[in-house]
Amino acid sequence: MTGASLFGIEMVNVFLAMAILIVIASFVSLYRGIEGPGIFNRIIAVNVIGTKTIVLLVLIGFIYERPDFFDIALVYAILNFIMTIAATRY
Amino acid sequence: MSDTTTITNILTVVLLLTGAFFMLAGTIGFLRFPDFYSRMHATGKCDTLGEGLMLVALIVYGGATFVSVKILFLIAFILLANPTSTHAIAKAAYDVGLEPWRSFDSEEVAWLNTSDGDTDNTGSTGEDGGEGR
Repeated sequence: MTGASLFGIEMVNVFLAMAILIVIASFVSLYRGIEGPGIFNRIIAVNVIGTKTIVLLVLIGFIYERPDFFDIALVYAILNFIMTIAATRY
Repeated sequence: MSDTTTITNILTVVLLLTGAFFMLAGTIGFLRFPDFYSRMHATGKCDTLGEGLMLVALIVYGGATFVSVKILFLIAFILLANPTSTHAIAKAAYDVGLEPWRSFDSEEVAWLNTSDGDTDNTGSTGEDGGEGR
């Protein structure tokens, strides 16, 4: 798995570019979460950022070769789901 | 580098780019759509699909290991949980009384009646939502 490359581009750099792109998308979503009218826009902004963070954690696990991050991503997915359901039941 | 590794890497990059496209499309729709329900339409589908495609790309890259089974469980949980949470948010918003957006020249503007609480910027949010900012 280490050192794989495609046409001279390291796969780790591809994962790193995807991680940076997800972070940029998360900040764009954060703008709607801060600015957006209504409490429901903020709830769905938190939901969107949470689902982006799951992919970001898995990508970080592949970049740094640490499989611990997948467990963290699973727990984060469950926490995100429970948090959304609790916020909508409130 | 063998041919199998090359094919695997190409498939991984293509799936990652497709997932990133869907995720960016969902984010742009979340930023630019005029109503809460249409924003939820954009994010609920595009984020689920983009995330699933990116995780499938990482499964293809990682191969048949224990890690891939873990990511497969993650995909299954996301495909269950993400539409459920979207439906829950939509039902909560409908129960509260948030009306769907109708058109630009409608007299009553729907998103001015949100249950926000702060009324200092409700006059400008209608224009901002219409103009896409």
